[in-house]
Amino acid sequence: MVGLEMAWLEILVLCGSFVALLALGVPVAFAIGMATVLTLLTGMPAEPALVTVAQRMATGLDSFSLLAIPFFVFAGRLMHRGGSARRLVDLAKAVLGPLPGGLAYVNVLACMLFGAISGSAVAAASAIGGVMAPHMEDEGYDRDFSAAVNVSSATTGLIIPPSNILIVYSLAAGGVSIAALFLAGYLPGLLMGLGLMVVAGVSAHRRGYTTEPAVALKELTRRFVYALPSLLLLVVVIGGIVAGLFTATEAAAVAVLYAWILALFDGGLSWRDLRRTATEAAETTAVVLLLVATSMAMSWVLAYASIPQSLAAALLAATESKIAILLIINLVLLAVGTVMDMTPAVLIFTPIFLPVVTALGMDPIHFGIVLVMNLCIGLCTPPVGSVLFVGCGVAGTRIEQVTRPLLPFFFMMIAALLAVTYLPWLSLALPGLFGF
Amino acid sequence: MNSSPLPRLKQGLDDVLAWAVALAMIGAVLLVLWQVLGRYVLDSPSSFTDEAVRYLLVWIGLLGGAQAAGRRLHLAIDLLPERLEPSSRHRLAAFNQTLIGLFALAVLCVGGGSLVSLTFELGQRSAALGVPLGFIYLVLPLSGLLITFYAVLFAWDHLRQARGETSFLAQESVEEAA
Repeated sequence: MVGLEMAWLEILVLCGSFVALLALGVPVAFAIGMATVLTLLTGMPAEPALVTVAQRMATGLDSFSLLAIPFFVFAGRLMHRGGSARRLVDLAKAVLGPLPGGLAYVNVLACMLFGAISGSAVAAASAIGGVMAPHMEDEGYDRDFSAAVNVSSATTGLIIPPSNILIVYSLAAGGVSIAALFLAGYLPGLLMGLGLMVVAGVSAHRRGYTTEPAVALKELTRRFVYALPSLLLLVVVIGGIVAGLFTATEAAAVAVLYAWILALFDGGLSWRDLRRTATEAAETTAVVLLLVATSMAMSWVLAYASIPQSLAAALLAATESKIAILLIINLVLLAVGTVMDMTPAVLIFTPIFLPVVTALGMDPIHFGIVLVMNLCIGLCTPPVGSVLFVGCGVAGTRIEQVTRPLLPFFFMMIAALLAVTYLPWLSLALPGLFGF
Repeated sequence: MNSSPLPRLKQGLDDVLAWAVALAMIGAVLLVLWQVLGRYVLDSPSSFTDEAVRYLLVWIGLLGGAQAAGRRLHLAIDLLPERLEPSSRHRLAAFNQTLIGLFALAVLCVGGGSLVSLTFELGQRSAALGVPLGFIYLVLPLSGLLITFYAVLFAWDHLRQARGETSFLAQESVEEAA
């Protein structure tokens, strides 16, 4: 009983200080770190508390698989410099353009491809949205509608491999196979993409948007050949990982080399450009890595205060129905996702919920896909939705105006999430086929 | 061009950090490629690269974190600050920067500093390379000092702006943090 009382005090300090700091506008990474220190100070003298948090921050980054994240971002940046976003859009246009509401489908497909290559939803929203938004506006599409299509479909790239956030999950879950997680992401990612295309198609049809002229087979082939080098990257990376030739980090390093060679062929990349691209990639990932460092410290403090165990016990005592518990977890995560960025959410909530669901017989691979898919929805919701912000920015529109056209897409994402939650084979069939 | 020393010092630090982190990134890529090459082509799996790049990542993460703090790239929720009058907004921003500075000073400089001296005293070394662990943890106080410097600078600048004076930091165009 005493232990439970202690945990309540710590939960109160943790949540209270974290929410207050976020509301004041303290950057999320620092707010997590400060809340961690304050929580630890409730039961520990200052000196060991400070040393512990510092050490946890450093050891939290000490991971070979985590290195794949800056590498994939680096490769994505190099590909973007080589003009791969434009080529993927051209290919998607040749394939899906002639359908009614064609450009909306094109946007979804291009996001799925580019999101997969770059492993980042924000990168997909800005790269594909940057190409598609002006184009769709010229064809008479409503700006807010194009932004809604772009924002919702940009998140599919986080589920379709390679995916940085699945690497973060693998770390938080104590080394679930990255190759298995990557394979598990394909069907749910495709399901979500197709679902979003259906919504986009119905809305576009209702709004009476134009279609693109059909493209001759010769032109289709040409565009495919142009996009092929970008698509081959996916084959090399995923093929290499699944065949067991490389680890995810090694594959990511190979991807950097590949993207660099492509950029060299593609009109040249000076040393200065390479240095600048490396800096950009490092800056982007530094923001994620500092979040990882402080989140790992917070996650350690939670475990130290036995908070995951108490919460798991409370949840399992409340109900024994697997359906109900998964529903509760999904609702909590949806709420968390609206205010919290994805990386800290995965690092902090995986240790809390994973023991609960594995006690119910859920596969950790399946849970990883559910968790990531759920938090994808939070990326498109205010008040904190990084993809929403970027998507509105590149489309030149405001968040309030996008909310309405975004609603049907939300419902589809939630429907896809429920399907993936309650139909485990959607996630587990492919890894099973490859013997995971 | 701004000629007063502090903004120039900041600019210099920004540039040095950008270079250091970019070089560390490229270095890490090369080391991992070397690891792949060693396994498949040279048939001599390298034993040190795994450890070397892990420690490199700790440095990239924490130095990069300091660099990103200097360029104010860390994500924050600005719903409340956006609703305030300019002078109150600057005062709140100065307060937040003070908190960041205190965190960096307490956790990274003091906590990280004790960790460094502790690991040096105990003579702990890394498993494969035999590097004293203190050198690896040294990035904690280093990054802490940098973040504190940036936080003090920003806090001071915000206080000046709260009094209606102009910012003394060169207005950089902030690239989107995609």
